[in-house]
Amino acid sequence: MKKFILFLGVALCATLCVNEASAQIKVGEEGRLSIAFESSTSYYAKDKLLEDIGKYTNYNPDPDYEFSFVDGPDRSNIGSNDYLKLDYSWKGLSVGLQVDAYLPPLYGYDLYKYSQRDSKLSGFLSKYIQWEDKNWGVRVGDIYDQFGNGLIFRTYEDRNLAFNNSLAGARAYYNFNNYVNVKVLAGMPRLYDIRTNNWVYGGDLSLSISDMAGWNDGIVSLEGSYVGRYDSDISEFNVIDWQTQQEINTLGRQHINMVSGRLNFEYMGITLRGEYAAKLNNDLFNNAANVGKGNAIYVDLGYNYKRFSATATFRRLEGMTTMIDPRKDNIFGGNLLNYIPVLTRQHTYSLAGLNPFMGAPSGNEIGGQIDLYYSLRNKKARGKYWNFHANFSMFNTYDHVALNSDSDIREGRNIWLDFNFDVERQWNKSVKTTFFYSFQRRDSDQYDMPEAHYCPSHIFVADVTYKVNKKHSLRFEAQYLAANNYEGDWVAATIEYNFAPMFSFYVSDMWNCEPMQDGSYGNYFYHYSMANSNDPALYENPYKHELLHYYQVGASFTYNSLRVQLSYGRNREGIVCSGGVCRKQPAFTGANLALTLSF
Amino acid sequence: MKKLLFLMVALFVGVSASAQMVPDVKLENQEGKVISTRNLVDGVPAIISFWSTTCKPCIMELNAINDNLYDWLEEAEFKVIAVSVDDARTLSRARAMTQGQGWDDYVCVYDKNQDFKRAMNVSLTPHTFIMDGKGNIVYSHSGYTPGSEQELFEKIKALK
Repeated sequence: MKKFILFLGVALCATLCVNEASAQIKVGEEGRLSIAFESSTSYYAKDKLLEDIGKYTNYNPDPDYEFSFVDGPDRSNIGSNDYLKLDYSWKGLSVGLQVDAYLPPLYGYDLYKYSQRDSKLSGFLSKYIQWEDKNWGVRVGDIYDQFGNGLIFRTYEDRNLAFNNSLAGARAYYNFNNYVNVKVLAGMPRLYDIRTNNWVYGGDLSLSISDMAGWNDGIVSLEGSYVGRYDSDISEFNVIDWQTQQEINTLGRQHINMVSGRLNFEYMGITLRGEYAAKLNNDLFNNAANVGKGNAIYVDLGYNYKRFSATATFRRLEGMTTMIDPRKDNIFGGNLLNYIPVLTRQHTYSLAGLNPFMGAPSGNEIGGQIDLYYSLRNKKARGKYWNFHANFSMFNTYDHVALNSDSDIREGRNIWLDFNFDVERQWNKSVKTTFFYSFQRRDSDQYDMPEAHYCPSHIFVADVTYKVNKKHSLRFEAQYLAANNYEGDWVAATIEYNFAPMFSFYVSDMWNCEPMQDGSYGNYFYHYSMANSNDPALYENPYKHELLHYYQVGASFTYNSLRVQLSYGRNREGIVCSGGVCRKQPAFTGANLALTLSF
Repeated sequence: MKKLLFLMVALFVGVSASAQMVPDVKLENQEGKVISTRNLVDGVPAIISFWSTTCKPCIMELNAINDNLYDWLEEAEFKVIAVSVDDARTLSRARAMTQGQGWDDYVCVYDKNQDFKRAMNVSLTPHTFIMDGKGNIVYSHSGYTPGSEQELFEKIKALK
């Protein structure tokens, strides 16, 4: 608690120090100090209805069993994820540090499961020093980098997931005349709030063929990378084969070597980027235990002409899930050294993102997506235009037909389909409308079941923004999800009033509105109770007619680079995704205060 | 830990605030070639806006600036630099979107490893900066509400 107060004190002091509109602080000749603070603090309120439903759906015949929504150590009724980052740069030199404080972590963030600390509070300090010259650079400390598309290596931070797998180590690169670019790095990766003992090392080489040939009309380049993971732990351990559910005993170290080759081409609005990656040795920690050696193909095609553009992406993954620390769980992709996110459109409307695609559980999948964009506008009346966007994505499993077989025959079963489009129309200076439609079909049951349980749904959204005058505006959003099975129909609405540039207020609600064919409400909880229990008494769901409203009210205040948002509401249990990586969010009711500040 | 925090407080109090240079970081341009942020400094003031394909208010802000662009350019000389922070997953979509949204008057750059985002200490998008012709950052604003683009234009006009 003391630490928490101290932290809030520093935050407050920082806030008060912003007494003028300047963006950064000058220290010395040409030097620059930049500071950023971000905080998200939640207070979890008691919600009788959510608790009752939770008890019911997590039914345990043991009378002493105490239900709690979230596993892990006892939860406090407050959670706070805070980040303070300081950077100083002078000419080519920069140094910086970042303090992450989880006081304790917010619900639904995986790091809770990994934390090895006794205290509920947790933190992490990262730092770096680097020198950047015209053609070369060196960095020591926490390293964020990626090779190509990240199929074999990517270290990055995503605070929406409380994810950070930066390497503590060193990196150097050299660029020769734009012809050749060489990069080498080595370090120990971070896993949430702990530093693992495993070493990761690698190198990347890129050759710009077009620069060498003096061709300036387009780009042709060839690239290649190598990444290795050295497992420093030599103890014996057991892994569970996800398909057979049998324990496999393994001795000693698991070294992994991975390589990737890439080709980039660009000419007259046409782009082609291709990558092939391979895992060279057997990775016993693979989700797909019978595919020890992994490989991946990634092809990205693009075309644009004036205001029309199109892209198509294809990806095939087989056994490429590579963990930072194989001895720890990989829950929803947090324990990953490479970047293999789901390649579907990440929807911003809540009902369209209600049940997102999470990828094949085996990590073996094949599929892709297509995007088309077109903008139609009048040169004379710039404030009037149409914007069109259509997207299609589809993914199939790509598993061996027989378990533990060497056969090359693969089984492909569709597990995801999404066709969606949106039409945006700016009618005049004050009215703008957006219409959105999405057809989604997903395998609603366990993805690894032999036959599919398809759940199709149609989502409709209308979104209207009306600008009353230069400062006041009103936005209204209505959404409907139509489905015949699983949870049935949903409806959602949002009203937002903005007073630019400082204030914004919103109210929203979302609920499961239509009973399904058997007369019950297709509530998420109801579905789980059916699946998890053999007790016939539980089929009589006492809450089946209890409508759960997932409401939110909130307000935000912005002044220069300070932003404060306060909200209160009930949150649905579900999947929260950021950048194609998802985490599981438990249901809760509470208030949240989010603050960001930088200067 | 405590010492560190006190050091920071001391730094906050001890330094005076004034405009600062844009940091030197490598980015990709629309064609996919690597450029330095210093190449963006050419004597013309700029609105630098950090956006991503999954950030709706970012796209609303860039569209609002685009709607007013020609009217504003009659009153002041400036350019708009749209910095996409999309990673490998959505990079090609970001490139397509800049064309498909009609942002052809913008300077579009791609920060796929988010080095520029980290160097500018952007934690939340949209985050918009105003840079004068010499590369000094003179103003920053995070978040977007319809109409707040007007404030950016006022700041640009004040640079004269």
